[in-house]
Amino acid sequence: MIADEPTFARLMTASQGGDRRAYTVLLTEAQFWLERYFRRRVPPAQIDDLVQDVLLSIHAKRATWDETRAFLPWLAAIARYRWVDHLRRVYRSSESELGDQDAADDNGEDAVLARMSLDRLFVQLTPAQCSAIELVKIKGLSVTEAAIQAGQSESLIKVNIHRGLRKLSALVEEAD
Amino acid sequence: MAYRPNPLIAQLAGELEPVRPLRMRHGLAVVAVAIVLTIAAVALWQGLWSGPAKGHAAAIFFVANGLIALVGLASARTVVRMAAPRVGVRQDGARWLLAALAILPVTALLSAALKGAVGSYGHAADGLTCFIAGTASGVGVAAALIFWLRRGAPVAPNVAGFYTGVAAGALGSFAHGLSCPFDTIGHLGIWHVAPVAASAALGRLAVPVLIRW
Repeated sequence: MIADEPTFARLMTASQGGDRRAYTVLLTEAQFWLERYFRRRVPPAQIDDLVQDVLLSIHAKRATWDETRAFLPWLAAIARYRWVDHLRRVYRSSESELGDQDAADDNGEDAVLARMSLDRLFVQLTPAQCSAIELVKIKGLSVTEAAIQAGQSESLIKVNIHRGLRKLSALVEEAD
Repeated sequence: MAYRPNPLIAQLAGELEPVRPLRMRHGLAVVAVAIVLTIAAVALWQGLWSGPAKGHAAAIFFVANGLIALVGLASARTVVRMAAPRVGVRQDGARWLLAALAILPVTALLSAALKGAVGSYGHAADGLTCFIAGTASGVGVAAALIFWLRRGAPVAPNVAGFYTGVAAGALGSFAHGLSCPFDTIGHLGIWHVAPVAASAALGRLAVPVLIRW
């Protein structure tokens, strides 16, 4: 079972004070939380790298969490930021097919996680932007393949990816 | 969920040092110091206009400078808050204030058009001086906000850059405005609002690369 908000907050407060044991537990729980968070929107083969990126970001920016505020929205904001970065970086990979293991676990997804999920970002995009990003940046199709599958021209696919990523970047904190 | 030891976690925990959490009030204090220093510099360099104290200033002087200052303060607060990210925050307040600020140039242009005097903003030399001085006066606030953002973790660098520009332009223009004796809507609505627009564009273009992490 993944730690809840009060547990995360308590561990983070102790970690900011230099408690290495609490920090180890915090990062381990954060790793579980992040693996679950990214599962639906990141190919399995890329989740580990992305989670490591976020853990490094948590470490570098741990002073930016304020104990008077909730921990998970802070963690989700950093996770989204790194995810948008990741989308910009990824290119076609043979290992990029999404797994289907998330469907079985969806019932257990708690309300907090759902409210801050990556899907909430995607609903802010137009259907054309959403489909272009999903096909090229998440499923790993080439622009040509995505154009055929989405029924858009190649240049439109590129424009939709560019505009969609720009919009995602601006919405990291706003969309909940 | 199965536990898999992660060497990175052990390494990060080994490097852990205590940190002082970033407090919003400290960020606001940094901005406040920058504003006070900017006003002091304007007072020393150009001298503050005595008109408002003597009751010689038109009402629009207070309305325009008050609105410009409010936009600057709201934007600066938005930027300071953006250094500590969290999902579920919107910048609606600052957006509405920006829309309210647009009333000034629109009124200035409408007023000039109705009087048939669009081309007569002939005090353009004075206006241009105010535009340049107002924009330049925002440097201190911009530096303070960039410093704060670099300490923090802004997750929307483009938006943070835009509001940094708005805050710097507005607070710089406000500080310079305290020394400017032109208290007409034509002058204030155009030349004292222009630094906000120019700085916002500059902030949007230049700041993101400085604060990305």
